[in-house]
Formats: sequence, structure tokens, C-alpha cells
Amino acid sequence: MSDSRSGLFGFVLNGLGHMFRGGLLYWAWLALLLVLIVLGGWHYYLQLRDGLLVTNMSNQVSWGFYISNFTFLVGVAAAAVMLVVPAYIFNRKDIKDVVLMGDTMAIGAVAMAILFVVVDLGRPDRFWHLIPFIGRFNFPESMLAWDVIVLNGYLLLNFGISFYIVYNHYQGKEPNASRYFPWVLLAIFWAISIHTVTAFLYSANSARPYWHNALLAPRFIASAFASGPALMAIGLQIIRRVSDYPIRQSVIDHLALVAAIALQVTLFFVLAELFTDFYNEGEHAASARYLFFGLDGHTALTPWIWTAVLLLAVALLILMIHPLRTHPVYMNIAFVLTVVGVWIEKGMGLVIPAFVPTPIGEIYEYAPSATEIMVSLGIWAIGLLLFTLLAKAALPVQCSFLREKAHREVTHDDA
Amino acid sequence: MTTYAMVIDTRTCIGCGDCVVACKNENKVPAGLNRDWVVEATRGEYPNLETEFRSERCNHCGHATCVTNCPTGASHYWKDTNIVLVAAEKCTGCKACIAACPYDARLIMHPEGYVDKCTFCHHRVDRGLDPACVSTCPTRCMHFGILDDRDSIVSRLLRERRYKTLMPETGNDPHVYYLL
Repeated sequence: MSDSRSGLFGFVLNGLGHMFRGGLLYWAWLALLLVLIVLGGWHYYLQLRDGLLVTNMSNQVSWGFYISNFTFLVGVAAAAVMLVVPAYIFNRKDIKDVVLMGDTMAIGAVAMAILFVVVDLGRPDRFWHLIPFIGRFNFPESMLAWDVIVLNGYLLLNFGISFYIVYNHYQGKEPNASRYFPWVLLAIFWAISIHTVTAFLYSANSARPYWHNALLAPRFIASAFASGPALMAIGLQIIRRVSDYPIRQSVIDHLALVAAIALQVTLFFVLAELFTDFYNEGEHAASARYLFFGLDGHTALTPWIWTAVLLLAVALLILMIHPLRTHPVYMNIAFVLTVVGVWIEKGMGLVIPAFVPTPIGEIYEYAPSATEIMVSLGIWAIGLLLFTLLAKAALPVQCSFLREKAHREVTHDDA
Repeated sequence: MTTYAMVIDTRTCIGCGDCVVACKNENKVPAGLNRDWVVEATRGEYPNLETEFRSERCNHCGHATCVTNCPTGASHYWKDTNIVLVAAEKCTGCKACIAACPYDARLIMHPEGYVDKCTFCHHRVDRGLDPACVSTCPTRCMHFGILDDRDSIVSRLLRERRYKTLMPETGNDPHVYYLL
């Protein structure tokens, strides 16, 4: 391996080479993402110029569509552990072959989550105050400071582990487990922490009863373990379709089972909250009443949440019936319903109602402005682009490594 | 630690809104935004109704969750007091403080993007004056002073009269008191 192409430089060059090679469909996909990114960038420029006034957020509803998407994506990011745990702790070989795609998705999701926080800032030029040691960082008092640490730490962990494994595979070596396994263990706990810290960011606010309950963090984790695996299963099937990467059906089935169980727990949690709020309804249930039934004629969020409940219920029904869960079409319908349902429930359904009514009893409704939607689309495009490029660079390396390994095993068996 | 408090007599407040105007003039609060406001609440049942006027603002809490929530320390206590200020140059506009505040007392400045709020007119307090809203009040229903000083007007009023604070159940320890 004295060949200069096996070095770090060659590795990066090789990856870049793969990123810029592809068929018409690949280029069309990249072009679509780039158009969305440019559009989002333009709208973000308008927001920078005119301030948060161009969003529909107000002093009353101060977090909106951006923080909703952020919340959902934190969940998706952490769900990578649903591949990491079976792959590394239970040594499922089929899952170990694809675990890297889970990490790649986590990288895309965390990057998006961080971007969504940045665009939500009124003064993004002062973002550096949120960097430990450089800025004035209010740690450990502020939950947001914790969130900055756990999110960036998770990004680094996933990037580091994936990079180490792919780089070794590129050099034709089996990665040294004793070197990366401790980091994998850390990443598993870290994944739970990014959920928990983000949930605590909300539940710490005693002035907002809708958030201020102990079930928020568990509910957060449960729904993330439904939407994350569902999204991952969709992604893996697309990769299987467009590349020759060997992804076994058993992996998809595993993800479907995880999503089914997590969805059951999620809906149980939702029922538990509904019972507590409405059996003996008090003032603290005002936000929940606004969300589910409307308050004083204000019903902006009611259609959203019932759509989410319906989607999740149908998804759960499909996933709970064995022949349907393993059916290639119904299974994917359930995945899509789960992703969209949780996106609503963890986004608009979790963030907005806490502000309605305000603690002093006023009702200000919220729906995202065109600017917010365009900027959000742009960020989603950035995340998908990041995922696409990273996957495109890593997949050929992984494919050839897996092929060689299979070949070696066969020849070994022959001998 | 000095605890400043504002005591507002709901029985003599006529809801004129002079406190709001005074604040806007004193602190050059831009059009469309207010650091204080007047709430008109109705109590009781028809026909025995009673109207309560409350001049509301930041409660300068003893345990201010906006200060603990702030990730950059932009929200902070002024000197060794309970007066909560925002250092505009450190504020990233993340709005975690707005989510934390039980009183809706914080506002985003447009297009600058930082968070603004009532300062208890600490620049006046520093010179031994009352906040602008208190000085302006035509019925003298607003009082300002040091809570730890037993002889201050606020301590005396709270000793002599029945009073309430807003949302004390959040554990924020608010320091704007309403005489009933």
C-alpha cells in the first residue's frame, strides 16, 4: 500500500471523483436540490435584510416552522442508533453492512437541525457567542448551550466514526474495532442525549404547561424511533434501487419492526397525555384544547394534528399486521405515513401550541410565511444534498470492500 | 443583593396608559412595540362585576428563567440586583428567553433581531430616580423601591395591604406586586 492513491489525499480525491460521476437521473436530482438551495438562499437573504419580520413569528409565538423542523430532525438524527445498536452490540452482520448509511443520514439530519436553529436566530452574525470558549457561553445553566454541545458533538462523532471506517475500507483493511468501538458506544448514549436535551429545552419552561411535563422527553424518543427508522428504510430502499449496494430485506424488516413498536409506544403516550389533560380539564390543558379542538373559535392547528393522528393510526395498523408489514408496497406506505405524521406531531404539534394561548391568556395564531417555507425547503435540500454526496462517495468504497471480503471468505472456505 | 420591587395599586389605577407612553418616550421604544402595557380584567359574575386595571411589564424575577435559559449570558442581572437586562450586543435572537418568560414581557426588535425588554429604567434608578412609568402615573398608583428596606414605600404597602403577584406558581419569584 505504498501507492500514493491510498493516502488521505487520494481518499478524498477518490470520493470527490465519485460525487461528480453519475447518470442523468443523478444529475437531475442534484440540479433540483441546487435550485431549491438557491431559492432558499435568496429568501434567507431577504430575511437577513428585513429581519424576522418577514416570518410569521411574533413576540407571542416566538418559535415557529424553523424550530418545528429542527425538533423533528433531531429525532431523525438520533434514530441512527436503531442501526448502530444491532450492528455493533448484537453483531447483526446484515445490519453492519449498511450501518454506515445510518451514520450518513444522521450527519445530514444534524446538519439540517443546526441550520434550522441558525435561520431562526434574529442575529445570526452573533452565532459565535454560542461557541464554547470563543463566545460568552452560558454553560451549564442554559439548556440551549447544552444543545449546542450535544448536537455538534454528535455531528463530529458520526462523522469521525464513518470517516474512520470508510477510510480503512478504502485501504482494503478491516477497521480496528478496539479503536472505533469505544466511540460507537459513546455515540449510542450521545444519541439519546440529543433527544433528551432538546426535549428538556422545552420542558424546562414552567410557564408553558403544554411542555412542562415529564413525558415530553420519553415521547420525543418514542416518536423519533418511529420516524427515524421509517425514513432510513425509505432511504435504504432508494439506495438499493439506484446502486448495486447489497442491502438485504432483513434490514428493512428490522426497521419496520422497530418503527411498529416505537409507534405503539408513541400513540400510547399521546393517549396518556390526552387522558390527563381532558379527564378533568383545568387551565393547564388550554394549549392541548387549542391544538386538538380549537380555543375560542381559533382552530388553525386542529386540521394539522388530526391529520397527524390519522396518518399515524393508519401507519400503526399496517405495521402491526404482519402480512402488511412485510408487503413491499404497504410497508412503504406505512413508512411515508409515519414520517409525515411524526413531522407534524413533533413539529407544528409540539412547538406552536405551547405559545397559544400565551401565559397571560392572549391568543395569537401562527402559520408559516412563504419565506419560512422557502428557507426550510432550502435547508432540506442542503441536507439531502449532503446525504447524497456523502453516500455517493462512500458507497463505491463500501461495495468494492464488501465484494473483496466476500471473495476472500469464499476462497478461504475453498482452502 | 438589592431587590427592587414595583407595587401597583389596582384600586387607584384608571387604565389611562400614561405609563406606556412614558416608557416609550424614555426608552425610545420603536413604533409597534411596547415594554409595558395595561390589562383590563373583569372579575366576578354579572351583575356584580368589577374591573381591574393592571399595568404590566417584566416582573424582574428573583429566579428569572430567561436569565438561566439564555445561552450566551446576554440576559443578565444588573449589578447585584434583581433587575434583568439584555446586553443587546451579545443577544443572538434565539428567543429561548421568550419561551421561558411567563409574562410575555420580551420583544424582538425588527429588523435588528435582538431581544428587548423593560429595564426598570435602571439608568434612572442609578441616579436615585423612579422608573419613568412610576414617575408619570397621574393617580400615583405605582410605587417603586427596595424590598429589603423595611421603611421603603413598597415594603410598607405590602405590609399594610392585600396583594397578589402574577403566576407565582412558575417558581420565578416575580417582583411586580398588585394591591387588591
